[in-house]
Amino acid sequence: MFKIHEIREIIKLVDQSSITEFKVEEDGMKVVIKKGGSASVSYVAVESAPQAVPAPQEVPAPAPQAVPPVPAPKTEEAPAPASQTAPVAAEPVDDTGLHKITSPMVGTFYKAPEPGASPYVQVGDKVKNDTIVCIVEAMKLFNEIEAEVTGEIVKVLVEDGQLVEYGQPLFLVKPE
Amino acid sequence: MNIRENLLQMFKQAGGEFISGEEISRRLGVSRTAIWKHIEEFREEGYVFEAVRRSGYRLVFAPDVMIAEEIKVGLSTRVLGQKIYYYPSIDSTQNKCQELAKEGAPEGTLVVADQQTEGKGRLGRVWHSPPGANISMSLLLRPALELQKCPQLTLLTAVAVVETLHEFCGISAQIKWPNDILINGKKVCGILTELNAESDRIHSLIVGIGLNVNTLPEHFPEDVHGIATSLRIEKGEPLRRVPLLQQILTRLEELYDLYLAKGFAPVKKRWETYAVTIGKKVTIRTLQGSLSGYAEGIDESGVLLVRREDGSVTKVYSADVEIHG
Repeated sequence: MFKIHEIREIIKLVDQSSITEFKVEEDGMKVVIKKGGSASVSYVAVESAPQAVPAPQEVPAPAPQAVPPVPAPKTEEAPAPASQTAPVAAEPVDDTGLHKITSPMVGTFYKAPEPGASPYVQVGDKVKNDTIVCIVEAMKLFNEIEAEVTGEIVKVLVEDGQLVEYGQPLFLVKPE
Repeated sequence: MNIRENLLQMFKQAGGEFISGEEISRRLGVSRTAIWKHIEEFREEGYVFEAVRRSGYRLVFAPDVMIAEEIKVGLSTRVLGQKIYYYPSIDSTQNKCQELAKEGAPEGTLVVADQQTEGKGRLGRVWHSPPGANISMSLLLRPALELQKCPQLTLLTAVAVVETLHEFCGISAQIKWPNDILINGKKVCGILTELNAESDRIHSLIVGIGLNVNTLPEHFPEDVHGIATSLRIEKGEPLRRVPLLQQILTRLEELYDLYLAKGFAPVKKRWETYAVTIGKKVTIRTLQGSLSGYAEGIDESGVLLVRREDGSVTKVYSADVEIHG
């Protein structure tokens, strides 16, 4: 997985070069950088393969950033990558034998039915197939995500209100 | 159609003329006592019948109640609203519709209520609605769609409502991304959709619509004063809800069929026609912070594209949008 300073470096290099498009893929994470030709618009679209822990750069960052198209700082708080071979992880989790509940769509992750309410599930909670574990919202469509597994929640991988990608792991579950 | 629907249809087609008990009995194949009982039930709902010995019955007045029969008679849809559950008062039509969905109710099942005591808004906000004034409805869909595409249906619903308001009420309304409906900058309709799905299969997609029809200014709670409106306030006269609801269902079905056949592109075009957000300076608020920029448009999936001052474009999937000027 790329680190934020690496992406920033790549953007700089692309920016200074004459190339208009740059793609690279590593450990299931894909970075696509496009320059908008003569227009001043340039933006990064970070897409993730299903296994990747993507950088949700579309999440509105709290303040305008000086360097235009870099992923939001959330990247650094991103959960441990799925793959154990990934070079860096803020907090490595041994997910051997653990089940990942992934997001079926791009959207905002909510841990509770409404702000201030108690979360659907917490670490240590037992879940069944049809236990609702969270909500993912896009365009006022609220998708109640079911565990689709029986077991115990061992880790919540994303923050409340965070933008999650398609296929992004949300929870680690120790199956029964 | 069941007997009650057939009976009501007969009276409506008679256009206020008398129909003899004998004729009704013959055409519906039920006893005159049964007919009398049904008519008594309609009277309890507020219908006024005149009964004259030897002439029979005639319908003098049909109230604007959203009972199944009143909605069904004159409804031209194929699927949407073909099964209707009406409640004078209910906690939330969404909750009821979800329950029905779990019990296997068919696509198009409609739950309507005269009053919602716990109407749902985004992020646990309350949707206010005084009794008997508005349309609170939830519609069950079971599309064979990729999950990723489902949010587009919320934009589609907004198009259906705006076009109905235009054609049926002569009101020109706008859409604030993704699907708030505004008249003169004030909110008249909220749409909220709940999806229940497995990774590869949609069980139910429930579209909730709250439309302020006949709310008077004094009926709005203090916290929405100045930001909410109703059709009655805008038109200066009360409107009948049932024909409006029938029209929404008809338009929604037309758009839904179009969408399933041709995808989002034709719907997107119509959405853009009514969009008030696009081309404006906006502030986007989410749980994780806010940002300002210029709303460039929506992409082919319905996501809002906001260009920041530094030229970068941010994709917005869910947020409260404030429009500046």
